[in-house]
Amino acid sequence: MKATILITLCFLAAAPVVLHAQNDLSPARKQAIDSLALEKVRDLSKYISIVGSKNTPWAEANRVIERTLELFSEGSQMGVSSLARPQIAYYSIRQYMERLMALNYDKVKIDWYDIHYISDLERQPDGRYVGVITIYQRFEGSVGDKMVYRDTTRKDITVYVERKQTQIGGRLIDFWDVLLGDIRVTETRL
Amino acid sequence: MIRIILIVLFLTICSVPARAQSFGEYLGDESVLYAQTKQVNQFFRRFNGEESVSGIRYYERDSLYRNPNFRHRYLNVLFDLENHSVGEKMRKDFVEQVTKRNRPNFLNFHAPGWFAEVSTKFIHHGSEVKVILFLKLEQENLGYKWVITDVFYKPFNDLLASEDDGNMLFLHPMSHELDFMNLIKVFQDKDKIAKYASKGFKPNYLTLLLYEIKRGNMKFQTVENVKFHFFQVPGWYFELSDLRRTGYNAGWLITGLIPISETEKELLLKYIYHD
Repeated sequence: MKATILITLCFLAAAPVVLHAQNDLSPARKQAIDSLALEKVRDLSKYISIVGSKNTPWAEANRVIERTLELFSEGSQMGVSSLARPQIAYYSIRQYMERLMALNYDKVKIDWYDIHYISDLERQPDGRYVGVITIYQRFEGSVGDKMVYRDTTRKDITVYVERKQTQIGGRLIDFWDVLLGDIRVTETRL
Repeated sequence: MIRIILIVLFLTICSVPARAQSFGEYLGDESVLYAQTKQVNQFFRRFNGEESVSGIRYYERDSLYRNPNFRHRYLNVLFDLENHSVGEKMRKDFVEQVTKRNRPNFLNFHAPGWFAEVSTKFIHHGSEVKVILFLKLEQENLGYKWVITDVFYKPFNDLLASEDDGNMLFLHPMSHELDFMNLIKVFQDKDKIAKYASKGFKPNYLTLLLYEIKRGNMKFQTVENVKFHFFQVPGWYFELSDLRRTGYNAGWLITGLIPISETEKELLLKYIYHD
């Protein structure tokens, strides 16, 4: 957590603390926040690969699930639908990860498409900012050398951005904390 | 370099939609993803000419920010081109109006004049039922939130529909002298009770929904579909839907477009809300 805060500070403390308008963060700050949010999304993807792999010991997988939960704001959910089942099925992040662990693939491979789309950040009534990052991934689960499951999904990932303060060397420093929120997962055909 | 190639190809795709399929051969899967309008946020940006073809945000300082020529190209790919109810001439008239150099029209995320229609499933008294929720953005403090404004659930409407069967039912104007003892007649026939309400009476179906949920009779299940209704462009209405299909003409697209007067707007709103 400390490391996350330090990274956030490195990314964001340098950018001037200017709110352009009621709703807009300065473009420089927005760009810094986008990078940090994408970093968290990549971390999530890495954790999914680790937890999904049978080669990962049980205790390690559970540790990674805890790390995964640290990326998210409390109460976040995955809303999953497929081509065959368009209705949204809801899972907590823990449920989603534990289901993944139970699938027991020997190997999980997640390929990212280069394209991603990052929305504007909108201010909520509680003062936090919220945005959505859309990414596309190909998931492959293998048993032995045989690929047993493959899908291409689009993930619309909620990102919460909150201005916080921390004390470093007796001085109060402002920083922007980024947390992931609900994720909408849809199977897609390209 | 790849980005420049993508930009050039995408612009070509925008202007020659019929030939678009062949570009996938050169760009692979990704060209499709670039072309699709992936978020409603992107629809707003594309409509207003506020982002590059590769999705980079333009700000006021950027030369192409809200550039009319650039918008002209973007706007043409924001329509569902497989929907023939929106004719080419109508589309052209709309695009000409919103990109007019002296008085262009832009969409404003925070302004009124657009709202969401969300099809959902609930369990009501043990059965799965379809409920449509209408939501709009509302400001609170310095931020915004989506709020539910109305509900359409057929059994609610059927229950409270006012039928004009020609029978004049009322409490006569001297009822007060009898301590309203004739109220007993009002509540004898439950199908006719609404006739005794004031002429401005309009059932609030959202209240009914909240009541049923709080009583434990209804439980939310899932979201089935989302679409948006826009009245922000003067003289026009359009519908925005997410078309999740393969190809370039996919994502959040205009699936309905109608030139509309103020009077017609009221009628259309009644139709949308099932009033």
